[in-house]
This record gives sequence, C-alpha cells and structure tokens, in this order.
Amino acid sequence: MVRESLPQPRTRKMTIIAQDPSVRVKEGRSLRILTARVDVPAEELAPGPSGHRVQVIDYDSSNNTLYKPARLTDGDPYEVVTDAQLLSDPGFHAQNVFAIVMRTLARFEFALGRRVSWGFNGHQIKVAPHAFADANAFYSEQDRALMFGYFQGQENMVFSCLSHDVIAHETTHALVDGLRERYTDPSSPEQAAFHEGFADVVALLSIFSLPAVVETVIDLGTNAPDKNASELIKASALTAARLRRSALFGLADEMGQELSGIRGNPLRRSAELPPSKEYIDSPEYIEPHKRGEIFVAAIMNAFIEVWVNRLQGLGKKARGGLDRRRVVEEGANIADSLLTMAIRALDYAPPVDLQFCDFLSALLTADREIRPDDSRYNFRSILRSSFESYGMPPTSRPHADGDERGIWESPPVGLTYDRTHFESMQRDPDEVFRFIWENRKALDLFEEAYSHVLSVRPCMRVAPDGFVLRETVAEYMQMITLAASELKSLGITAPPEMPPETDVTIYGGGALVFDEYGRLKFHISNRILNADRQTRRLKYLWEFGYFQQGSSAFRRFANLHRLRAMNLPTVMPGEE
Amino acid sequence: MPATKPQSMTLRTYQVGFGDCFLLTFHYAKRDRHVLIDFGSTGQPKTAPADLMLQVANNIKERCGGKLDAVVATHRHKDHISGFTTSKGKGSGDIIASCEPTVVIQPWTEDPDAQPDATQATHVSSGAKAFVSSLHSMHAVSESLLLEIQRLRGGISRTAFNQLAFLGEDNLTNRSAVENLMTMGKHHYYVNAGSKSGLATILPGVKTYVLGPPTVKQSQAITKMRSKDPDEFWHLLGLAGQSLKRGNGQLFPKAETYAAPPAQTRWLIHRMQALRGDQMLELVRALDTVMNNTSVILLFQVGDKKFLFPGDAQLENWAYALSQEKNRKLLADVHLYKVGHHGSLNATPKSLWGLFTNRAPLQSAKRLNCVVSTMAGKHGTPSKGTEVPRSKLVEELKKMSNYFTTQDLKGKNLFKDFTFDLT
Repeated sequence: MVRESLPQPRTRKMTIIAQDPSVRVKEGRSLRILTARVDVPAEELAPGPSGHRVQVIDYDSSNNTLYKPARLTDGDPYEVVTDAQLLSDPGFHAQNVFAIVMRTLARFEFALGRRVSWGFNGHQIKVAPHAFADANAFYSEQDRALMFGYFQGQENMVFSCLSHDVIAHETTHALVDGLRERYTDPSSPEQAAFHEGFADVVALLSIFSLPAVVETVIDLGTNAPDKNASELIKASALTAARLRRSALFGLADEMGQELSGIRGNPLRRSAELPPSKEYIDSPEYIEPHKRGEIFVAAIMNAFIEVWVNRLQGLGKKARGGLDRRRVVEEGANIADSLLTMAIRALDYAPPVDLQFCDFLSALLTADREIRPDDSRYNFRSILRSSFESYGMPPTSRPHADGDERGIWESPPVGLTYDRTHFESMQRDPDEVFRFIWENRKALDLFEEAYSHVLSVRPCMRVAPDGFVLRETVAEYMQMITLAASELKSLGITAPPEMPPETDVTIYGGGALVFDEYGRLKFHISNRILNADRQTRRLKYLWEFGYFQQGSSAFRRFANLHRLRAMNLPTVMPGEE
Repeated sequence: MPATKPQSMTLRTYQVGFGDCFLLTFHYAKRDRHVLIDFGSTGQPKTAPADLMLQVANNIKERCGGKLDAVVATHRHKDHISGFTTSKGKGSGDIIASCEPTVVIQPWTEDPDAQPDATQATHVSSGAKAFVSSLHSMHAVSESLLLEIQRLRGGISRTAFNQLAFLGEDNLTNRSAVENLMTMGKHHYYVNAGSKSGLATILPGVKTYVLGPPTVKQSQAITKMRSKDPDEFWHLLGLAGQSLKRGNGQLFPKAETYAAPPAQTRWLIHRMQALRGDQMLELVRALDTVMNNTSVILLFQVGDKKFLFPGDAQLENWAYALSQEKNRKLLADVHLYKVGHHGSLNATPKSLWGLFTNRAPLQSAKRLNCVVSTMAGKHGTPSKGTEVPRSKLVEELKKMSNYFTTQDLKGKNLFKDFTFDLT
C-alpha cells in the first residue's frame, strides 16, 4: 500500500558557538571553543541561508566584497569540525548567526503564543554577518537588517557574528520594535533604558538557558575542579553569593573582552550592582545605558535567587550534595522560564512612556494569568522583592483583598460591547477602535487627541494545566501637539525657559487584553492627561537638549550602540 | 607712555583658503614683536597661486624681519599646521623655522612626555597619557577610513565622499609639521587652561591668558555624566581598521566571492554602502571634534583692549573656561574675536557669544570686531545645518560686529591688516 509520508520534523539541530570564541572548555589537554547544538525551526533553506524569516547576505562593505552564500540544505554540517574551521569558514558564521536569530524569534513566538513580526514592514530580516570593519553591531530598521561588524583585536580577528549575546541582543531590538513601536519615542530616561536593558536580559537569559554554558561556569565557583572527579556539588556551595560569583562573574570573565566595545559589559555591571534604592533617583543613573543596568541587575539577581531557593529545597533531601547535572538543568530551566516570562510581559506593558515599575506589574500579571500557582519556584514574589530592592515597586497598588500584590487592576465596570462584534474584535483594528471610542469615557481617553489602534493580536498560550489560554491583545496610542503656552490648560507645566511658542507633542496610550470571551480583562494605560508624568517627561527632554536638537530617528540603534560603546550620553545637554 | 607697553597691534590675516594663519605684530617703541598663530590649509581657492603657502611663509619672514618671537600652533589639524611642513630645506615650514621663534606654544596634548612612546617617567598622569594615545589612534582611524572610501567609491554619494576625504585628510598625522614644531624654537610651552602662556617676557605690557584646552582632570571636574573617557573606544577602532591595510583586505581569502552581485542582493548592498558612508562620516566628525577641542585658547590683554584667539575650540573645550566666573568676566569686553573653527555651528557657543558686551548693531569705536578665516563649500552641508561657515552664525556676526572674512580676499591679495590702537 502506498502511504503518505510522515509529517516533516518541526525543528532541526544546528551547531552554534555557545557564547563567543573566548569561552572555552577543556577537552583532553587542550581548550576548545564551547559550542552547543540548538533547535531551530525546520524549513527548506535557500542558499544564504535564506529562510522564511531570516536571509543571510554576506556582504562586507568595508572591502566591497560579496561572499557566495552558504548552502545548509540538510543536517548539521558543522557538528564535528575544528576550532580553526569555526573561525575561518564564513559558511559557519552564516549558520551561527542564522540559528541564533531564528532561535530568538522562536523564543518570542513560543512565549507570546503567536507569530511575531519584525519592527519593519516585511517578513524576512536580512542579516549581514561581516557588514563592516568596525566594532559595532546593530539593527537597522530602515535597511530591514541586522548588521554585524568585525574588527582586528589585539591578537585575532573579532567577529561580532560569533557572539551569542550580541546576536540575541540585536535581534531583540528588531522584535521589540515590532511589538512596541513607540518605545523608541523620546520619553523618559527609563523608556530609553528599557530597550537596551531588555535586550540585555533576553541575551543573557538565552545564554544561561544553554546547559553547556551553565555547566562550564558552575565549575568555576563550586569547587568542582574536575567534572569527572565528582558528580556531586555540596549544598553549602550553592549559596546566592557563590552562584553569583560563578555564574554571573564567571561568565562575565570568560566573555570576549574585546566585544565590550560593542556591547558594554551588561553582565559584569549588573553583577556588580548590589541592591539599593538609591540608584533610581541618583543623577548618575539618569543616563539611559546606565539606567538599563539597574533593570538588568534586578532580573539577574532574581534569577540567582530563584535558582538558589530551588536548589536549597532539593539539597535538604540530598545530604551528601546535589547532582551536578541537576544543578545545571535547574539553572538552565529557570533562565528559560524567566526569559519566557519577560517576553510575555511585553503584551501587558503600556505601549507608551514605559517605566520599569510598569514592566514589573506587567511581568507579575502576565505570569499570573497563565501560571496562577507559583509555589514551586516563587518566581513572582522573588522578582517583586528584587525589583523593590532596587527601588522599583510595582506600579499597580493593592486594590482588592486577597489579590496578589503588584498585578494590574481589573478594568472599570460598565463597558459596552453592544455595538462591536466578537469575531472582528480579534483581528480588526477598526472594530477595536470602535470599541475604544464607544468606551472613551470609561477608559479615560482624551477625546481631543489623535487616537490610533496600533495592533490587534490574537494569541494562544499553553498553560501548565494543559489548557490553552486564549487572549487578544490590542494596543492604542493617543497624541496631541500643542504650543508650550497651551499646556497649562491640561495642568502640565512646561519647563520655565521653554519659549511659549514651542511645539510640544505629548503621548498616551494603552494595552487592552481581552479574554477568550472577548471581554476586557485588563486595560493597562498611561493616560495622556497624566499631568505629573507629562511634566516630568518635558522637564527631562528639555534638560537633555531634545527640543534644541530636533528629533531624528535616523538609524537610532546604530547611534545608540555607538554612544554606548563610547560611554557617552545619548542626548547631550547641548547649547546649539 | 612707558616703553614696556605696545602702542598698537596689527593683525595680519592671511588668505589660506580653509585654514588659519594670523600674524600679530605688537608695536613697541623700540621694536616690533611678532607672534604667529597657526599656519595651515586644507583647501585653497581656485584662483590661489600654486605656491600660496610658500608666498605666505615668505611674507611672514619679511614682515618679522627674519625673527619670530613666538609661534602658536593651536592644535594638530592640517588646516592649522600644514604650513609648518618641511621639504628638504625648501618648504614653507623651513622658512618659518629659519625665523627661529623664541617660544613655541602648543596644547598640553603635544607634550613629548605625554606621548605613547615617551620613555621617561614624567609629570604627565596616566589618564592624560591615555587621552593623548587615543588622539594617536584617531590618526590611525582616519588613515584606514581614507583607504576604505577608495574601495567604496561609487557606492557612497559624492557629497559624503568629499566630506570624508576632507575630514579624513585633515586628521592625518602631519608628521613633518609636528616634528618641525617640536624642534624649532628655544622654549616650548605645552599649555592648558590656567597655565602660563610663556609670553610674559616676550610681550611686556601684554597679559596673555590661557583659557583652554582643559586637561583631562579639568574636563572631568565639570562633567555631570559618567566620567570614564572613551579612549578605549578609539584604540579599538584604530586597531579595527588595521585589517584593511593588509593585501586586498579580504577577510576570507579562500572563500568564493561574486564578481558582480546577483539581483537579489543589490538592494541591501546599496543600502549598506550608504550606511557605511554615513557611519564613517559620523566617526570622522566625532574624532575631528575631539581634536578641535585640544585647541589652545589665548586671550591677549593690553590695557582695556582684549583679543581672543580660540583656534577651533568647540563647546566641550569652552565649557571648562566658561564654568569659571573670573573667565566670564575677562571675556565680557573682548574687542577682537577670531571666530572659532572657521565659523562652524558649535565653535561659537551661545554662552560665549552672549558674554560679549561690545556686540552692537551700530558702528562705534567700541564695537566688537570679528575675523574669520574660512572657505565655504569644504565642510558640512547646508541641508543639515552643518555647513562652515554656518549661515545663521554669519548673519549674527554681520549684524552685531565689524565682520571680516578671508573669503573677501580675492585675486593676488595675500592678506589684510587690521591695526588696533593700544595707547
């Protein structure tokens, strides 16, 4: 009998460099570059590789050279190769960058339960693994591309396309830009810091979710000199301080130092930042990159804390010590879960003027929706205390008895659904806009402002109980441009030196989360008429010269990274 | 009138195209004393003679009777020092050297003790050395960018190409001029904001204040932002470009490449070339600014007359001097202002311009004099508001001062003299 062929496998293994070529492991007598085999969504790749979401085009603009594309038709051609081959074969570089970009995209799609678009109008992002001879790498929205530079280091050529954290970081910019397009608007130091901080968090957690990496760094701080000597780690070695030293500092030390010209040192800096409520109001931390470090520190500290808690729970049962593999597995799983949580939170975050405290409320709420029972890992309470220890309490205040602290409030009562249709509310921005307009009073919108539904996204997430959590997430924004002299009528105070005729645009907006019956579950908004917030925002932008410079979105990520590498402020208090 | 005070001062402003060259002659009862401030050019008008720089050098020599009292090289950009270049005893720099300046004044960044190859343990702090060494890396960056734009020729716009070529070249080492400045002169002063100028004995009756450049420490004292300096960044970039110098520069010599790009890659290639052009321009502008900010700022005072020569100092250089009340007072009644950086956007900060009390719309004896040495069409673009001289600034200078630009020196006119009565 002739039968249909079995369904094609959904994933494919590809070899990548686990972090970057300077992270090495002992193999026999020599040190080898630490690699990992990761799952990438399977598809029939065209030369490049060129797939349905990612196209690698290996053009080097500094040398005006176009390399012939890699052909990755089948299998994992780089599973067994020498280090020299990894470094010198542009085909491997293409595979490495392709696999990590696709893996990051897949991570976002898994967490959000839907397809996720890039931050530009198009399906395939172009990736140039050897874009130019420069210590820079960035996402360029206008060019619909990720560009990775290379440069001559002290000893070897340094390729940013071989650095996992750099690739994941840039890919995250492209994805967050698609999910929350207004996060690059001039707003507060925190919104500017968020893009960088969040990209760092995704990059670091992606690396820690690889067991090979955790295994390598864990040995550094747990007195396990030779992994073959002992399969057990003493429970006493698994304290927060020890794990921070081995995992965070350990990896930070191993990472290619020359790449800090591109990425800064987010891991080291966050590991060096002990909890304190002082940073958030300190003028030193008003600079966006530096401010982003507080965010990274809060999450990485929570990662260590959850891990230690989990291990200590297990350790009590196993007196002689803990199985090394178990320690590693727990670490990688926790990093992976935290990564999923962080990405999910984006849907529950206000679409304009984001503050870290808003993100914490988003994190707690999104997680509670899909995973009400948090008793095994205590992710939520640990994240809440970690953020609070850095002076970032959740935005949402306690509202009803018995509610978990920090989660968003439920929406106002009395919303009308009568004139909208359930089916189109799940995909049609005009229909959602109608809903918003009908309910503008209840939702506290500013009637006179320009209002716009930015997206309507139905999503399905699998809950730990096996059932599907179905939600529709829509985001809208409002904006209005007024002369500085008119701001007073809205209760907003313009900076005293601002000329009264200056044009000032203020923004507001919200995320609407509908449940599976089409009823509004959450309305997470930053109202345009929040006078305090608008006054603070204008004061900051004025002081940092935004109104003098005019605003240019020109290749903003490229510039952002350049400034980060140069350690310069993103906006200079300029005179001209 | 005591003989120890000059009775007048003549400023000779040379037409050197895009560059600076000023000869200050202080007329004393006994003899004239001559101070040359900068001598360089990166672009000359089409009508200029081929041997312009030699003619200027000879004119300087003639004017000072073969003896210069002092030479000031505000900073090491080509448009300020190329005239000091020597050529087998026959270059314009050889002529200046033959005038045997008694004193040579340069910014602290030129101090041989601060150079990366300095072997002696010195008074120069490690932070300062790191900064100077990053200036050297910037030369390397310029060098590799010039190489790179040749490969990208055709891929980037003509405007971007010209700008890159201009700025890249201005920031090359100028080794011959640098060495000549180092060896000419009896006494060398490497100055910073607040230090002695070295002119006290040479110019009796004239007070010379050094208002810039600030040292690394001085700059840090006024920055609110994180003070870690970007030295490392420039070292990295200086190294980064080294690969371009080897052979054909290709990263993977054994890998197969396309001679002509297939259709599906052309859009991105075109975008990447434009992007790389923009990036390089951004870099070279950034390093150009750093170099400009090493400019010596001198303020000469005779009686109640003050003459201000800030080289190419931009905002960041000025910020230190302007942070001090005593300097703001000093600057208030400036009589002559050599317009900073050929009239660019941010070399005349509003906080400086606003101090000048002699600004006035109408002619008067006290009215501020402004002199700019410049050449339009070499630097920046009007559409981006970066053109030099900046039209907005020129308008303001014309409106509020007696304004002179070297662009008005046409034909065979090599210079223009302005005499200021100091009695």
